[in-house]
Amino acid sequence: MTPTAVTAMQPSEFRAAGTDLSERRRSGVSTGPLIDISAASDTIGMHWDADGRARLGAFTTIAAIASDVRLAAAYPGIAVSAQGLATPQIRHLATLGGNLAQRSRCWYFRNPHIACLKKGGSDCPARSGNHLYHVAFDLGPCVAPHPSTMAAALLAYEATVTTNQRSSLTIGDLLGDGSNGGADNALQPGEMIKSVELPSPLQGERALYKRAISRTHAEWPLVEVCARAVVKDGTFQFVRLAAGGIAPVPLRLHAVEAALQDRKATAAALANAAGQATSGAKPLPMTGYKLDLLKGVVHDLLEGLAP
Amino acid sequence: MSTMTINGRLAPLPDDPDALLVDVVRDALDLTGTKLVCGAGVCGACTVLVDGAPAVSCLMPARSAANRNVTTVEGIGAAKLHPVQKAFMAHDALQCGFCTPGFIVEAVAFHDRWRATKGTAVPSREEIGGALSGHLCRCGAYDGIFRAVADACAGRFDGSDILPPRMEARDKVTGSAKYTVDIHHDGQLEGVILRSPFAHARINELDLAPARAVAGVSAAIPLLGDDRIVRYVGEPIAAVAARDRRTALAAIAAIKFKGEPLPSAVGLDEARKADAPVVFEKSARKKAGNVSEGGGAPAAWKGNVRGPSAAFSKKPKKVRSWVDGARAANNPLLVEGIFRTGTQQHACLEPHAAVARFDGDRLTVHVSTQAVFHVMEMIAKRYKFGHDKVRVIADHVGGGFGSKASLGVETTTAIELAREAKAPVRVAYDRHEELSVTGYRPATEMKIALLPSEQGELKALSLTAYADTGAATNSTIAALARLIYPAEAKELADFDVISNLPAGAPFRGPGGPPMAFALEQAIDEAALRMKLDPIALRKRWDPDPNRQRLYDWASSLDVWRNRKPVAAQSGRYRRGVGVATGYWLYLWQPGSKVEVAVKGGRLVASTATQDIGTGTRTVIANTLAREFGLEPHEVEVRIGDSRLPEGPGSGGSRVTASVIPPMLLAIEQLKTAIQQSTKRQPVPGSNAPWREMLAASPDLAVSSVRPEDSRRMAPGIESPLKQVGLLGWIFGWMMRRFSNLAIGAGVPSSVQVVEVEVDTWLGHVRVVSVHTGIAVGKVVAPALAHSQAAGAVIQGIGYALYEAREVDSRTGDVLSGGMEDYRIPGIADTPMIDVHFDQGGFDHVLGGSVGIGEVATVPTSPAVANAICNATGVRLTELPLRPDRLVAALKGRAAA
Repeated sequence: MTPTAVTAMQPSEFRAAGTDLSERRRSGVSTGPLIDISAASDTIGMHWDADGRARLGAFTTIAAIASDVRLAAAYPGIAVSAQGLATPQIRHLATLGGNLAQRSRCWYFRNPHIACLKKGGSDCPARSGNHLYHVAFDLGPCVAPHPSTMAAALLAYEATVTTNQRSSLTIGDLLGDGSNGGADNALQPGEMIKSVELPSPLQGERALYKRAISRTHAEWPLVEVCARAVVKDGTFQFVRLAAGGIAPVPLRLHAVEAALQDRKATAAALANAAGQATSGAKPLPMTGYKLDLLKGVVHDLLEGLAP
Repeated sequence: MSTMTINGRLAPLPDDPDALLVDVVRDALDLTGTKLVCGAGVCGACTVLVDGAPAVSCLMPARSAANRNVTTVEGIGAAKLHPVQKAFMAHDALQCGFCTPGFIVEAVAFHDRWRATKGTAVPSREEIGGALSGHLCRCGAYDGIFRAVADACAGRFDGSDILPPRMEARDKVTGSAKYTVDIHHDGQLEGVILRSPFAHARINELDLAPARAVAGVSAAIPLLGDDRIVRYVGEPIAAVAARDRRTALAAIAAIKFKGEPLPSAVGLDEARKADAPVVFEKSARKKAGNVSEGGGAPAAWKGNVRGPSAAFSKKPKKVRSWVDGARAANNPLLVEGIFRTGTQQHACLEPHAAVARFDGDRLTVHVSTQAVFHVMEMIAKRYKFGHDKVRVIADHVGGGFGSKASLGVETTTAIELAREAKAPVRVAYDRHEELSVTGYRPATEMKIALLPSEQGELKALSLTAYADTGAATNSTIAALARLIYPAEAKELADFDVISNLPAGAPFRGPGGPPMAFALEQAIDEAALRMKLDPIALRKRWDPDPNRQRLYDWASSLDVWRNRKPVAAQSGRYRRGVGVATGYWLYLWQPGSKVEVAVKGGRLVASTATQDIGTGTRTVIANTLAREFGLEPHEVEVRIGDSRLPEGPGSGGSRVTASVIPPMLLAIEQLKTAIQQSTKRQPVPGSNAPWREMLAASPDLAVSSVRPEDSRRMAPGIESPLKQVGLLGWIFGWMMRRFSNLAIGAGVPSSVQVVEVEVDTWLGHVRVVSVHTGIAVGKVVAPALAHSQAAGAVIQGIGYALYEAREVDSRTGDVLSGGMEDYRIPGIADTPMIDVHFDQGGFDHVLGGSVGIGEVATVPTSPAVANAICNATGVRLTELPLRPDRLVAALKGRAAA
């Protein structure tokens, strides 16, 4: 079929491994000039500083992140998130930078015949159409959830990002707040992710990742959460949760964190905190179920983190 | 210019930045073992090794392979088969074979890694499932794949070569099997179809000149119907043939057309409204497609609703009055409900494809088809060619499931483009086309009422089915409820709801799975209310002798006997066990002919049928070899070519029962002919008398046509249509007269017992185990029959839990046009599958065997739903049983 809803002139795009871009170019959704980029020594691999902090080069593959023993020890939530996304063959090719900068997986956006905000259109066809897999936190004009699993994990770790133009960007700085429906991130023209910096690992931290899907593997998450905690003497001393699949950008679950901070990890406290996961939710007509799944995933993870 | 090393040889890479590795591998290097399926990295069919690690070549820019080592499936077993290849062959871990090369490449990498670090330890199902999670198989060969990978890792296939149970398995595990999409003639062009962006429009202007002006374009043809109306998004408007796909895409983009949009109605609800725009005016109704395997009876149309088709009812007024009475009396045994099922796409991994080539006035068409002979006839009729001038070939077919049973647009377009371009043309649908315009099992809305009598017999059954058939008609769902569970009265009505969506098509047991989803849950509910064992109730209500034996088998299963009472659990995870029954008609194709011959001392069987992964080649080989005391690999089977004697289509589970009887007749004649022409009799006491006689035999050939079945049936075995009396007889006569299908006596049947685990927090259902009991007579190829039975369960699980086409109900766009959004089961979703064959019931059929393909998938979805109900107390009434529906239903129960 011929693309009919694609604006004539598209900006140029960077291509690393191309696991997202190749599909869009084959379908005709993306037609701008290509700029192939490749790794340099400081943009690939894991670099550790004297304080035990890791810097991940943007060209590091997801498979490398998923299988690195030191990373898994220091930042378990990053490793398990990487293990849980896509498929082995994609993880082998796909890069961290590409995962963060990938474009929406919305089935309207991916259809070259349908106009949408992300293709220069004037409204979001999913909002009034079929949004079964879309957001439950309606934060902006586009209702597609952000597709990056790694972004949610990095948000839970309060990581920062360095680009060729800026440094110390938070995940919020990188992806925006969801109010710009035309974009999947807040990178400037010509701006490219170079690396991700992780703060110092915490003593005694444990972390888990889980996605709710209909099948067992290899499915875009209905809901996904990366959760970290330090539990000492049965008390949550530190807790961070970030969720994907539910909003135009990954969301920190502040209400859950607040409900647990310095609290005993009792069954009732966990259940109560999981119930806070939907605080601030604004589901669409077809996405109310995601709130139940979100509570379920959070509850599952909290039970896993509690001693 | 950069290069890569591929299978040990240096190969150039194109400069084009948009060239993908898969295109270079397949098109430039003709290494067609690597398949292009989803184009999105989801299915893994294109997997190759890059520097030893599996990568999806459909997403990998060709230039990024520069200076790297690429290994395709052709590079794996080139010298000597890899243990994984042998294991796949031995465990029959494949059916149509289209996904097989990708699985092999990935499994080889996994195996080699595993063996390097873990020796001959056996990997767990979870480890294998995770490693192969980037691969999809539509036939559902996962059960065999698990066993193959585990055994290869355990070192059980390190040794010598093996003879596989499936005749063509070696070609499929090495990537040498050629499918239609792999055919490449010199000078071959690529054809692409311009499709309607409108759900409903009249195309007033269509100018192909700009397409013809594109450099590299050799033909452009209109494809509009005489009324110039398009009735769904994706309906063909025009097509072009060009030197390559990209040029063809540019050319169709250049075509100028103007559509005058007409009001449209998309889907069941919109199209049924009183003021809905009408999709087919009276004069255009014959343009509608057909969702059944046979022709249909006439029915009334009212707007977009065609029906009721209610000929299979029995005393319908009585049903209405009894049900009304029971409802008024609050009869607790009256089971009523509305059940809905989703639209299931066939999702064949090999897309609909054809390659047409003219040599003078002779036309050769490679088609990915379920019916080489029938398609040849249809081409000859449509273009007024003699049968001798048209040849249809399908050596291997990458899945069909009902969607490739007749002459499709891909084939006519390839033929017409080839004629205009005076060059061979290939048309191969892309994934969005495959998942939108090639047909589907229609969604349904079914209203059911089931009333037991005071004595505990089935008194009345009412089933009304509305099918979301798109631009097609002839759904048969409710009528199928007549041929099982006899009752005093039945009210059965089928309606087609025609709308501005692509046409539905026959799909594996058309009408059977949705009917079973409603009926088998109603039976289950009745058993609950009657406080009876659900199998015992079926045994009481269903006198069919084949199923009586299956019920005995099912009720003796440990998983059944140990199941907990309904809704007895309260934790997060709950286990449940459910049962359901399915049947299909025993069909065979009159006129089917098989030739058996001795050629150069070798036995050869020939018939113009095809093997779409169902195992037809092997069924023929096993039968022929068995009759002569040989091994199957000593005989030759020729199929997949319309020039061979007329053979059956691979639809309606008809092939086995159509080819074995004539083959057995021909074999008897051939044996006589061999004995008469052999001068030297075999040595007395020879172990292989026929082998010696064949070696000495001159070339001989005998053919035979499918005989009628014996009229001497076992007690209780009769045509299911007998229950319907005269109308049944008329229906059978019409099927034979107009669809060339005979409905035989005896009912192929399946009873399935399913165990599930429900995660009540996440709405997730895991199917733990499936026991599938199947009665289709004698099993000719046991390993392959097992594969097909297990695959049918897996496809049934897809229907039950995951699969649904999604559309935009305003525009008619199909949204689930990619394999990410159209969700078929993966290997890790595969339960433990136990297959039980009850081999009786068809002794009146010469050879005693009938087909298995359809019946084996019918009961799965209601068995899963009944198991969920057993676990949670919640009866889910809408397929697929997705997390969103499950959490909503559980919430409803908690609130109640």
